[in-house]
Amino acid sequence: MIWSIFIKSISEQIRNFWILILTVSMAPFFVFVYFLINEASQPHYRALIVNLDQGFERKEGLINVGSSVLPNFQSYLASQENIPLSIHSAATREIAAKKIETRKADVLLVIPANFSQSILAEIPSAPEIEIVGNISSTGYLISAVWLSELLNDFMAQQTGQERLFTIKETALGLSGQVDEFELWMPGMLILSIIMLMFSATIAIIVEVDQGTILRLKLSGMEAWQFLIGVGFSQVLVGLIAIFLTLAAATSLGFELRGSILSFLLITVLTSISMVAFSLILAAVTRSVTDVLVVGNFPLFLFMFFSGAAFPLSPKAWFYLGDYGVSWQSLMSPAPAISALQKISIMGVGLDDIQGELLALTLMTAIYFAIGLWGFQRRHLSTK
Amino acid sequence: MISISHLRKTFGDLVAVDDLSLTIDQGEILGVLGPNGAGKTTAIRMVCGLLQKDSGEIQWEIPGNLSDIIGFCPQENLFWPRLTCFEQLVFLGKMHKMSAEKAEARADELLNLLGLSGKTAVYAAKLSGGMQRRLNIALALIHDPPVLILDEPEAGLDPQSRILIRDLIRSLAVKKTVIITTHNMDEAERLADRVAIIDHGKLLVVGSVDSLKQRLGKGDCLECRFETDLESTLMDMETPSARFMEAIRKTMGLSTEAISVVQDKVLIRSFQHLEKLSEITDLAQNNGLNIRDIQLRKTTLEDVFIQLTGRALRE
Repeated sequence: MIWSIFIKSISEQIRNFWILILTVSMAPFFVFVYFLINEASQPHYRALIVNLDQGFERKEGLINVGSSVLPNFQSYLASQENIPLSIHSAATREIAAKKIETRKADVLLVIPANFSQSILAEIPSAPEIEIVGNISSTGYLISAVWLSELLNDFMAQQTGQERLFTIKETALGLSGQVDEFELWMPGMLILSIIMLMFSATIAIIVEVDQGTILRLKLSGMEAWQFLIGVGFSQVLVGLIAIFLTLAAATSLGFELRGSILSFLLITVLTSISMVAFSLILAAVTRSVTDVLVVGNFPLFLFMFFSGAAFPLSPKAWFYLGDYGVSWQSLMSPAPAISALQKISIMGVGLDDIQGELLALTLMTAIYFAIGLWGFQRRHLSTK
Repeated sequence: MISISHLRKTFGDLVAVDDLSLTIDQGEILGVLGPNGAGKTTAIRMVCGLLQKDSGEIQWEIPGNLSDIIGFCPQENLFWPRLTCFEQLVFLGKMHKMSAEKAEARADELLNLLGLSGKTAVYAAKLSGGMQRRLNIALALIHDPPVLILDEPEAGLDPQSRILIRDLIRSLAVKKTVIITTHNMDEAERLADRVAIIDHGKLLVVGSVDSLKQRLGKGDCLECRFETDLESTLMDMETPSARFMEAIRKTMGLSTEAISVVQDKVLIRSFQHLEKLSEITDLAQNNGLNIRDIQLRKTTLEDVFIQLTGRALRE
């Protein structure tokens, strides 16, 4: 019986191909959009230097240490790859401030008038160097850190002092090998399954909408048999959607790291979870039109608050293994995205995502219980 | 045999079915008549197990589950528009726990029986209205149920399809019990062995069509249509219409029930119409009433229905 429902549901999906196409193509489309956004918005930070240094008079003449700051910085940046920072000089503080206000620059370094004197005097003192910028801007924060580091190096060279420490940066897992586009991909892959919400709900509610639920009720078919039959067909649609999304991402440079088995397990579990959630949606609607209107609300919630489209780090209520359970975990894609990120970025195995898998399974069970109860009460009741 | 006793269903303050008791024999065609909102559908849904009853009993002498016993054909055409005729019959057969081979053989048989053999591979949505109606009936018959419940089976059918469905129902009634709910008096009169009239949730009357007609009075029906509305002035005994009605009763020796007035029409049930025709026309003229036309016809089930349920429109 379940197999017959599965075959019927698949046939109807294929024949009603517009909803199927919409479901399986939305996430690959988003992958292309993210790729284009990422390509068009590679971060670049711009710093300005205003040199007010008046120099220091020595036997050999006037020495202006401040004037060598900019060439030193530029020389260092030229010797490094992948530092998205450019540094230029500005004539006055006012001109530089104006550029920051109009977002033509991120940060301004003001070398004070006594800069050379402070360094070269018989008794050196610490010059007061001003860093100016919009401190709420991410661009300012990153540029200021870079300038501070470069300045520290410069001062160490000028004063002949060793730095108190050196920093060695170690990329954890595979994080050093992934770019921003790849960081987004776990969310995009799960988004392709979130889109299943519409097709799965429609596959269920269409029986109510066209009245054929009456025939199924009269046939003696049990609700769970119907839901499992339809559910299987939707999991298949979910897998098609995720593999299309993966293919789109791979064609644009994404590399799936970690175990394929773990990847499959997470995606199948998430698909089942979305089918279970669709049951709740089917319980509160009566027609395909209702689904297309009401369904937008949970779709946007899941898209924007589960971490699929935007990163969020809410405070954990408690922990399941390493996974922090928060309000976000009420949306089953959230632990799925976390698990996929760990697999594809950190290269971990199943043992390290047990918390996520448990949270995902629990939420799926809760969705299914609520959905089955609601669907029976709303659409299969004999009262 | 199906035995329904003291069946009751309420929705809040509304009593949809009130103390309904009825027995339906095997191989019988029972027509269930009633105005809109009379409680027919509620009663049928309880019989089908689609609605819980508040109280009462429904006893089946046929062994098996309700899903095996009943074949229900609703008034609306309920099918899967993107499945072919054959596919959906087979699918529903499998839902009724039939094997694939049995379901396929039965689907072929029903498509032939209902004149749909040329449409086997056509999506249900692409069928004409009449064909969809026939497919609707085929779906109710897929599991060969011993009891068939048809809600307005002839609604939306052309005359040829109506004849086909009527013949089919008659042939099915040899082995099956058939319950038909309908507004179509002609359909009930032609098909039903017995008719049950329900109104306000209560069973008003049940019996063969002939026995119900006899309840209205013996004889045929003379229908006189006047140029003025007689019904609106009937309450005042001094009006011409009231005087005319009283004179007719006395002249023809009829009971009050044998004469009814509906707007400009007077219906007289009697055996002696032809002998008294000239007297009737004279009485009308004497009371200043002009007859537009006179028609002599058999008493119909509709006369019985209107007599029992009244003329007021229902919600």
